[in-house]
This record gives sequence, structure tokens and C-alpha cells, in this order.
Amino acid sequence: MSEFKIKAGLAQMLKGGVIMDVVNAEQAKIAERAGACAVMALERIPADMRASGQVCRMSDPQMIKEIMAAVSIPVMAKCRIGHFVEAEVLEALGVDYIDESEVLTPADKKYHIVKNDFKVPFVCGAKDLGEALRRINEGAAMLRTKGEAGTGDISEAVKHLRQIKEEIDYVMSLKTDKEIEEFAKEKRIPLDTLKELIANGGKFPVVNFAAGGVATPSDAALCVKLGAEGVFVGSGIFKSKNPEKLAKAIVDSVTNYNDSKKIMEYSTDLGELMAGVSISSIKDNEKLSSRGW
Amino acid sequence: MTIEKTLVVGVLALQGAFIEHINHFKQCQVESYAFSFVEVRTEEELNKCHALVIPGGESTAISLISQRTGLLKPLMDFVKSNKPIWGTCAGLIFLSKQIINGKPGQQILGGMDIQVERNAFGRQLDSFQQNLDFSSFIPELTDFPTVFIRAPVISKILNDEQQSDDADVIYSKNDYVNDRPVEVLHKLDNGFIVAVRQGNKLGTSFHPELSENHKFHQWFLQDFVVNSI
Repeated sequence: MSEFKIKAGLAQMLKGGVIMDVVNAEQAKIAERAGACAVMALERIPADMRASGQVCRMSDPQMIKEIMAAVSIPVMAKCRIGHFVEAEVLEALGVDYIDESEVLTPADKKYHIVKNDFKVPFVCGAKDLGEALRRINEGAAMLRTKGEAGTGDISEAVKHLRQIKEEIDYVMSLKTDKEIEEFAKEKRIPLDTLKELIANGGKFPVVNFAAGGVATPSDAALCVKLGAEGVFVGSGIFKSKNPEKLAKAIVDSVTNYNDSKKIMEYSTDLGELMAGVSISSIKDNEKLSSRGW
Repeated sequence: MTIEKTLVVGVLALQGAFIEHINHFKQCQVESYAFSFVEVRTEEELNKCHALVIPGGESTAISLISQRTGLLKPLMDFVKSNKPIWGTCAGLIFLSKQIINGKPGQQILGGMDIQVERNAFGRQLDSFQQNLDFSSFIPELTDFPTVFIRAPVISKILNDEQQSDDADVIYSKNDYVNDRPVEVLHKLDNGFIVAVRQGNKLGTSFHPELSENHKFHQWFLQDFVVNSI
């Protein structure tokens, strides 16, 4: 348990902050200068992975090492769902957090990584309460919405934030043990994990960030207003014309999410943003958020 | 007992674990005093505070956001006003006079005559939890669970002679003079200094706000906030 406190504790320190996808040391430095609370090191940003149609794997350790050397903020890196050897490699490398991510091509169609077996903490994506609690049960020390990475369309992240909140409200309204057991069974949630959530007043034992489709300062603030405790920005920043300015604007918007006048200032004159792909143009079976279970 | 007045304790809420501090404070009580605990993001909110806590988070992010949102100068003035301030982890870094392993452009408040080394233990895999004996400064607190997360340490207590200009060191631009001596409150077995006090300024490398125990927060309210009025 004390081990878990240290893992979940780092995510608590990231709250109210922005974690940015970067593909090289130069971008990592820009992110750090903009006030990112952490960076996610990966070879290609999700928009490019989506366009490539190729198998996407853990990044080359050399590239992650260069990013770790370039910045002093925490460095996260992604491994494929279920690929515990990639996770072991990233742990050996000494990254600060591992994202078991649906953005990469899943390695195991049935099982996620048993994250409790690792010393390094994990963040995992979740689009509903069942996924969230299964990941917590496996040892995830931080959650994020899946959203729909690489699109610049915020609607899936919003959907996942709302879905989780509605399901928690529903669970908290359940009166009898029988109802709770039935819900756990229906949603494939370990009963003990569900009961812990209820005992904790409907609050997760880990931090939950928004991710997937955040492209503007307003997108970021919207997510925080809907209950996200911080924001991941993937393709949005470095697919825009003025990454440094946009990165700062998103960081400042997450801090001042409740001040519309300030968000108006931060949103002004940012230049051309990520063009994006609307969710409705993507077939359901091509959605990254459908990966993981 | 009648309540004299309500004391406002602010927690800097630019980035990091500020809610945890507020939740801990809400469990504390000091006889004949009422408190209100508020998140601080603006100069207006800061000016209402009798004391301030700077939480853990990313010290670069907190510093940069404070500069961009116009809060750095008001924070430096708050330091000069001699009100109680407590910095935990990133907050300790922000409160210090010198930092090593900082980033260019990372400004600090200069409230305590200490040099702080960022990420002194290493990366996340070197983070740890340990029970420490604080009974030398908090009565009966012999077994307090502390959490160190990518934590800084106090690498040097500064005195007047140490005004050298070292390229690896970031210096505070605040001209505030803290006229009280720096007291080392706790050293780890390896000699690392992890808690210091200078007058009504307090700095800790670790996170009392992540423990289940609110006695550290209780002590801050009693010994720093109430005693300073």
C-alpha cells in the first residue's frame, strides 16, 4: 500500500497541470518552458500514427533517454496494451510514468498489464466506470479519458468524462448490496473495487485527467470544468502553427479554468490550430478508444 | 471561548496538490480561532490571506505560471510583508533564495536563506516513504509518515558571505531580508536536510498533505499562523 501512495502521489503533484506529447528533445524543452508539468515521450504523435495505418510500438529507448536528459520535469512513455515486456524495458530505462496506451497497437487482446507487479507507476485510459475500476484493480495509479487521440475533436473526451460521472452518480444511488453486486457483475467490475469506490464517497483513489482531442485553451478548460484534474495534450500543440504560444495558453487556461475573461485572452491570436479530423468521419472500428476492454 | 476573528489561510493553486492541503487543514482546530482556507490564483485572493501555503507540484510550472499570470510580484511582496508561509516540495523550491538543478527563467521567491537542490534523490523510481521522528519540534509526533516524491533537499544553509555568482545556481531576485536564523528541523540519516524553519517561514521536502495524519498542518496553524498575529 505504501508503494501505491508513492505511485499515486506523483500523479497528485501533476494535478492542475498539462502533460504534453513530444517527439524529440527540442519539443520537450519547448513544453518545459511553457510550464508543462510532465512530458510524454513518443516517436510519433497520435495524429501521425492515425494517418500511418502502421503498427505502432514503444518508442526507441535512445529517443526517450534524450528527452529524459533534456528536461527536469517528469517524463512518461507509452507501451502497448498488455505488452509487459515493453513496460519492463521502460522501467529499466527509469521513466517516471508508463502510459499503457490504446494509441499504440494492442499487444494482448484479452489482458492488460498487471501493473501492481511494477515499481514504476502507470496511467491508463478509461471511457467508462468499468474500464476505470478494472484498471485501478490492476494497479493503475492514474487514469485519463481515452478521448479520441490524434483528432483534435474534444467530443469523445467529453463523453468519457460525463459517462464516468453519470455511472458514479448511479452507483452512489444504489441502496442494497444486491443492486451493487448486480451492477458489478453487469459492468465486469471487481466487487471489492466497486465497494471501495462507494466507501470513498464516489471518488477514485487515483487522479483522473482528460486526454484525446484537446486542441485549444477552451477545450482544456472545458475538461477541467467537467471534472478532469488535469489535461494531456497530444497532437494539438505541435500540429499547430505556433506551438510555444499555444502550449503556454493551454497551461494558463487549466490554472484559470474558471475565469472566462482570462481564457478569452489566452485564446486570442494563436494562429492556425491543428486541422483535425471530426469523430463522425471515423468508423467505429477505427476508433482508438475502442481498443482496451 | 469567543472567536477573535477569522484567519484566512491561502493555498497557492496555480498547479499541483493544493486541494490536499485544504482538506488537511479542514480537519484541524485551534481553540478560539476560526479559519477559512482558500485557493489562491490572483493578487486579490492573495491579499486577503494571513498566511500562505505553496504546495507540491512541478516547481518550473508553478514559477512560470506565476510569472505569466502576474502573480510573481505580489507573491514576492507577500514574502516581504513577513506573513507566515509554508512550502512543501515544489513549494520549498519556490520559497528559497537559491536553487540548483533549476531551469533558466525559473524565478523564486527568496523567502528563506537556503539553497535547494531539485530532484535531489533522483527520478520517480527513487521516490520513497518513511516514518520520521519530529518530536523535537512537534510534541509527541514520533512516528510521522512522510512521502518523498522526486523530492528536493536543502543543500545549503546560506549566510552573508555566500554571495558568489555561480552559473549553476539560480538566485532569487527578491531583495527581502529574513532577519531570523535558519533552524534545521530534520535531517535524514544520510545527512540530507529535509525540514527547515526561518522565523515564520517553513520549508519541507516531503508531503505532509499526502499522509493520513493532519498533525503537521495543526502545528503550522498553531505555531506559525496563530502565533504571528
